[in-house]
Amino acid sequence: MDELEERSEAVSQDTLLLVLAWLFVGIPLAWGVADTIRNAAKLFS
Amino acid sequence: MALALDRSHSIAKPGFNRWLVPPAALCIHLCIGEAYAFSVFTKPMAQLIGVTAPAPGDWTVPQLGWIFSLAIAVLGLAAAFGGKWVEDVGPRMAMFVAAVFFSSGLIVASIGVSLHVLPLVYLGYGVLGGCGLGIGYISPVSTLIKWFPDRPGLATGTAIMGFGGGALIGAPLAVGLMRHFSSATSTGVAPTMAVMGVLYFIWMFVGSLIVRVPRDGWAPAGYVPPVASAKMITTKNVLREDALKTPQFYLLWVVLFCNVTAGIGVLGQASLMIQEMFAVTPIAAAGFVGLLSIFNMAGRIFWASTSDYIGRKMTYVIFFALGAVLYFSAPTFGHLHNIALFILAFAVILSMYGGGFATIPAYLRDLFGTVNVGAIHGVLLTAWSAAGVAGPVLVNYIREYQITHGVAKADAYSITMYIMAILLLVGLAANLAVRPVGEQHYLKEQPAT
Repeated sequence: MDELEERSEAVSQDTLLLVLAWLFVGIPLAWGVADTIRNAAKLFS
Repeated sequence: MALALDRSHSIAKPGFNRWLVPPAALCIHLCIGEAYAFSVFTKPMAQLIGVTAPAPGDWTVPQLGWIFSLAIAVLGLAAAFGGKWVEDVGPRMAMFVAAVFFSSGLIVASIGVSLHVLPLVYLGYGVLGGCGLGIGYISPVSTLIKWFPDRPGLATGTAIMGFGGGALIGAPLAVGLMRHFSSATSTGVAPTMAVMGVLYFIWMFVGSLIVRVPRDGWAPAGYVPPVASAKMITTKNVLREDALKTPQFYLLWVVLFCNVTAGIGVLGQASLMIQEMFAVTPIAAAGFVGLLSIFNMAGRIFWASTSDYIGRKMTYVIFFALGAVLYFSAPTFGHLHNIALFILAFAVILSMYGGGFATIPAYLRDLFGTVNVGAIHGVLLTAWSAAGVAGPVLVNYIREYQITHGVAKADAYSITMYIMAILLLVGLAANLAVRPVGEQHYLKEQPAT
């Protein structure tokens, strides 16, 4: 495996980790925000 | 284990993507932000014996109110005294220790609830949890600032947004778990706290594994440090001990205190206030509180990011000037029965309340440099503890005083709002007095970062 391939593999692993890390915090936060908006909507109903 | 957690083992390898650090910070802040959702436990904890209604021997609401106050007070103390240690050991160890404190606090509180021993709940949620809050709150701040010298407001705003967002996750999670564990003989509080303690430990531990510190001398590609023209942004550093000798530190303390006091008092009374002023239902009032929580969270990232472009001082000028105008106007919106303008005013006020928390680390970095910014931030958070007492006391006691002197409930908030507006003007004056730190306070022979 040449240096270019190694670097490319490292970048793709890094990207995967980045996506997973943001999903790890983003999904619970999105759930919490959605739940709060659902409740807040009662203010206008 | 200790070796794997120390700073030297968390130095990023070349090519590390710095955008992995904000989610690591969010793992911590989204968990410790659960403290803002403590009120969901109040009612079930006040009827642990009676289950469906308070019974003789049950804890009272004022007794339970001390748990949150204690946690916030300990937060300030832990951040103040632990800040230097956090700087020394690095973010990974600090995050891990915060995870241990915060989750063990929940578990000890769970045992206290299970045995119906209130001091154990104070010790768990208040003291141990408060230590986890304080250490966890400051643990990623200086690391984020070092990774994002080009956008410190955005970086710290993202993390501190998590503290605002933590309640949005913690409240429905706690309610769902209590529903699951409740029975004819139990409100389900104890197992809920225990489960949350375990879940939050795992979540925070993952954050501590992800976080990395940049190697010495690292800078983002193409980054050019600010030049002399940016008078309010230093390229030098001030140690924590020296920062405490500067007037700038105390002016920023007043800035944070005024901003937090003005927001926190209203946050605690928002539900009651809108019910009494506009005669809305409790469900709609809960919706109002939810809406304020969202603006509180969104304001953290919006205002902190904006401060990267317009400067920290100008950002706080907007907070205080606009906040004072809105507080002066709010009673009028109430008298006009214009609920839409009233909601809008408080949504903006709460966005600036959150923004104040999120912008202060970058303000400190601008004035004191990056070397001890976490430790200085930790000491500054004592302003939050003080405001946590002053805000609710101001709102509650002024309201009570007026009602007992014959003022109608709907009008009882007017004086409070005018006082808050004046408080914001005090904050404005303190902010306008902030000047660059004197040369004599800068660290000698320290390379610019």
